[in-house]
Amino acid sequence: MLLLRIMSCLQGYLVIHVTGDAPERFVNMAASRGIYLWDVEQLVNGTVIIKVRLKDVHALRHVARRTRCRFRIRQRSGLPFYAAVLRKRRALTLGAFLFLIILYSLSSVIWFIEVKGNEKLDSSYVLQAAAQAGLRRGALKWNINSGAVEEKIIEQLPLLSWSGVYIKGTRATIEVAERIVPDDEDRQPVHIVAKKTGVIKEVLVLNGSQAVQEGDTVSPGQVLISGEILPVVEEQPPGEEGKKPVENVEPVRFVHAMGIARARVWYEGYSEVSLVETGQRLTGRQKTRVSIKFKSKEIILSGNQNQNEPFAAYETKTFINKAAEWRNISLPVELITVKYFELADYRVERSRAEARRTAEEQAYAAAVEGMPADAVIQERWVEEVETGDSDKLARVKVVIETVEDIGEESHINGVSGS
Amino acid sequence: MVLRDFRRKVKKQFADFLELPGDVMLDLPKITMFGDIKLYIENHRGIIEYSTSGVRVGVRDGELVVTGEGLLLRNVLPDEICVEGKIKTLSFSY
Repeated sequence: MLLLRIMSCLQGYLVIHVTGDAPERFVNMAASRGIYLWDVEQLVNGTVIIKVRLKDVHALRHVARRTRCRFRIRQRSGLPFYAAVLRKRRALTLGAFLFLIILYSLSSVIWFIEVKGNEKLDSSYVLQAAAQAGLRRGALKWNINSGAVEEKIIEQLPLLSWSGVYIKGTRATIEVAERIVPDDEDRQPVHIVAKKTGVIKEVLVLNGSQAVQEGDTVSPGQVLISGEILPVVEEQPPGEEGKKPVENVEPVRFVHAMGIARARVWYEGYSEVSLVETGQRLTGRQKTRVSIKFKSKEIILSGNQNQNEPFAAYETKTFINKAAEWRNISLPVELITVKYFELADYRVERSRAEARRTAEEQAYAAAVEGMPADAVIQERWVEEVETGDSDKLARVKVVIETVEDIGEESHINGVSGS
Repeated sequence: MVLRDFRRKVKKQFADFLELPGDVMLDLPKITMFGDIKLYIENHRGIIEYSTSGVRVGVRDGELVVTGEGLLLRNVLPDEICVEGKIKTLSFSY
């Protein structure tokens, strides 16, 4: 049935009003002659409204004469009539076609080019290479051969190991993967200096000259492995003391010192925990108030209507949403969301042992905080600090001893690479 | 008359024996109804009367009377009629 309706719309149909003594006979005769009628409806005054296909109207005249009915065409609809309307309104038709053509032509052009995946290489180089292969802003979509663009980018930029070009709508995405190139070795002359205070445990020199011995206490900044190599002073063999030392004295050489300097380092943490603790903490209950602020007026949308405090004790968080500015025009409207979090008093009583344990944990955490990941813990001491008011407070100090590499490179001032 | 009744009886028995559907063999109307809003009558013999409160459709040897409110003929085809509206009763009269 739906198919019949669609066909009728395409072929065009008429709404006719049939008057006469027996419209039923009109309908019967039409139907028996193979004329398709639909939406037959009777009006109050006896007139019958019928819809009929445009091509069948001619046959209906005969039927009307035979059944002594009269019919008048009241409405014309369907494609042929719309087409006639469009023929009259040239400008509208032209506009519609123009719209479609512009839409189609604008959507077949690349407007946006995006480069993804580059870290060191600047996007402009990739875009330049892509432009050489035809992928540039304003290029027609179907003139772009993704494969050729990819090859061109790889060919032009040896720093890239892979590239992919995807076109989606009017946006082209160039994805690239950079080759991992080993960094140039740093040839600058450097010292290895201490990062922190410690007692040297062992020094392994790869390049440079050792400046400290095992057991030395070093302070931050102190040179551990020197990049400055002093000329070797040849020991004069005995019996030739009267001779002059060798004339060609070598100048001081500077090298890029390398090596590992492990030292024992101590970390300290301290914490105190009172046996009876009181304070306020969040209960988890919260209320939200949403309001709109227009200039200086505030209209509450939801939440407590009056400005009263929602809880006896609370803290608030305020979020302000403002419409994005556009060309120096900013709307004087703000959406303000205020969240109230309820606070409640609490009181915790701890036993002495419990307080001591908590303090120890906190102190340990404080000590560990500054430790590098590669530090190896050697030993730790826990010490309770006696202060006299031990019935109120537990004070604990934790000392951790680690062994770690404390060396760090430091450029030698005023000396450039050798 | 007697002969016609006899022929009909034979036809009916034949149709029952072969389990053929009645609308094919006996020329009966096939009526499909969707609740009280839509009614399809296939194999009809034309519209006898139509108004918004009642439709009479010719069927074999008699007529089918549909009464209701706001009735309209959605489709009128040589062998099928679709009546829409609020249908109240459906009866046969001979």
